[in-house]
Amino acid sequence: MDKIRRTLLGQIAKLTAGAALVPLSSIAAAGINDQPARREGDPEKRYAMLIDLRACIGCQACTVSCHIENEAPLGSFRTIVSQYEVEHEETGNTATFMLPRLCNHCENPPCVPVCPVQATFQRKDGIVVVDNEACVGCAYCVQACPYDARFINEYTQTADKCTFCAHRLDVGLLPACVESCVGGARIIGDIRDPNSQISRMMKEHYNELMVLKPEMGTAPHVFYLGMDERFVSRPDAKPAIWDVRDQQGEEIGYEFSGH
Amino acid sequence: MNSAVIEVLAPRYGIAWYPWAVQYFFLIAISYSALLLTVPGLLFGKKNYESLAKVALLVTVSCTLVGPVALLADLHQPLRFWHFYANLTPWSWMSIGSLLLPVYLILVVAYAWLAWRPAMQVQAQGEGWIAKLSGWVSLGQWCAPRWMLVVAGLGALALSVGIMVYTGAEVAIVKARPLWNTHWLPVMFVLTGLVAAAGLVILINRLMTGNDQEVNEQSLKVIVVTMILSALVAALWISEGITGFSPSVEQAFASLQRNPEWRAVAIYGLLVGIALTLSAIAMLRRPGWIGRSWIAGLLAVHIGWTFRWMVLMEVQTVAKNTAGYYHYAIEAGSSGLMGIIGTFGLWLAALLIIDILVPWKKSLQASSH
Repeated sequence: MDKIRRTLLGQIAKLTAGAALVPLSSIAAAGINDQPARREGDPEKRYAMLIDLRACIGCQACTVSCHIENEAPLGSFRTIVSQYEVEHEETGNTATFMLPRLCNHCENPPCVPVCPVQATFQRKDGIVVVDNEACVGCAYCVQACPYDARFINEYTQTADKCTFCAHRLDVGLLPACVESCVGGARIIGDIRDPNSQISRMMKEHYNELMVLKPEMGTAPHVFYLGMDERFVSRPDAKPAIWDVRDQQGEEIGYEFSGH
Repeated sequence: MNSAVIEVLAPRYGIAWYPWAVQYFFLIAISYSALLLTVPGLLFGKKNYESLAKVALLVTVSCTLVGPVALLADLHQPLRFWHFYANLTPWSWMSIGSLLLPVYLILVVAYAWLAWRPAMQVQAQGEGWIAKLSGWVSLGQWCAPRWMLVVAGLGALALSVGIMVYTGAEVAIVKARPLWNTHWLPVMFVLTGLVAAAGLVILINRLMTGNDQEVNEQSLKVIVVTMILSALVAALWISEGITGFSPSVEQAFASLQRNPEWRAVAIYGLLVGIALTLSAIAMLRRPGWIGRSWIAGLLAVHIGWTFRWMVLMEVQTVAKNTAGYYHYAIEAGSSGLMGIIGTFGLWLAALLIIDILVPWKKSLQASSH
């Protein structure tokens, strides 16, 4: 991607991060593919996450603890830390860039209005959840999410995703990923409470915050600090070779094409 | 600063919609397109289109019956299909579709039933179990007035517009997949649906009704016109991407940049499209060649199906966030190859059962008045 475009995207990312701070009242349901009314959850709160990339060491403790806490099937993840090796083309110096990914609990979540049975919905506190008793497993929401944050759980055969560990938040605990983050890079909290750590940090770093894929108009509520503009959208990167096999030689991982 | 980036770690993202979806989109598109082909002969009662209407009616009914089965199978929780009706969700295109589809199916079946009924009533006079069954299916010997057929036909046509709109919009609104997110996609679904339906009519005409030249000619004309329109739509879509008129199409192009497989697909699509259009024109121009229309028919069906395969399956292999492309290898089981073969098997069964029980080659109700 050329530099001008990169800068522009970065600026959009910053702007969108700012716009998301203005609390949007529940959008009333109207036309096709509009956001339906929110339900359940505390209307006084708006949960969001700030990820301080400067403190992320890419240890995947969040990936593992989330996997255990939420019993995701092998190979499916509610959160993951993408890792990139960045090489300076002139000096040859290399650096590693870590990018934790999870559901962005968008203010305008494209996964919600597509659901044909209202199984996936946004709570009043902003958390996007799935009622897997109602879900028919049509996977429309999986297609609609620009962040690949959803998958069909092969055990339940229904849509699965990060819930900010709503079951833990509701009883005063922190999400598994936040609890296990060794660098303290993941900060969750109520952005309507001006004294919360996330609110204070967002105020302090207002101009540096970025969100993923701002061009999608989703107003994500996972904010990144120390973000590089080149990673805001699908990065212009080479995929590493992946071919994971178990001891019997059966493929348990996957391969990217084009190598 | 110029830098080379290697993605070291990324999870696997599987395919969320299976080949069942391709089968549904294929069959339902043939269904509404073949329904359109019955209109001049059956609804307007134009004599020279009656043979076309006969074949097209068989095609539309068989595809309408089997399509929803494939759709149901694409749900990961198919037994929960009733949730669609217990939780009406008017803001979701898929929910709207779940309401349109059963009504459409009933109207198409009613339309065909009324069209085939006079011949079935005659068949009911005979001996044997087929005659007995015909008597039951035709619900007595009373004469159904023509307005009933017209109402059912117009109703089915109205609902078919709903099906065209919803199947197209359902996919085209997904911004997360720029290759889908274009208003040209619903148009292209309809055009390639017409191509495939006309192709299937030619094949059925070749295999079951003795290669009626008039049917071949009319179907080839449909293929030529819709192929030219498809080319126009493809050109418009491409120009929207090149000029940046549509940022989404521009993004779609960027997502396929430097990928040799997609380039090969584009070239293949172009070549097959040209081959079909030129061969259809040649068959129409040279009197001796029209008997070989089935070759164009096969190509047309191939284009209709492959377009949906590329759009619905291959586009899912274009990563949204990660570098590179996913590798999709079709599974042997019911979510893969068996699903595809099974759907076509079911369609063939439906076609043959209708062929055994219904004297569909006899005069339709349109001409009995």
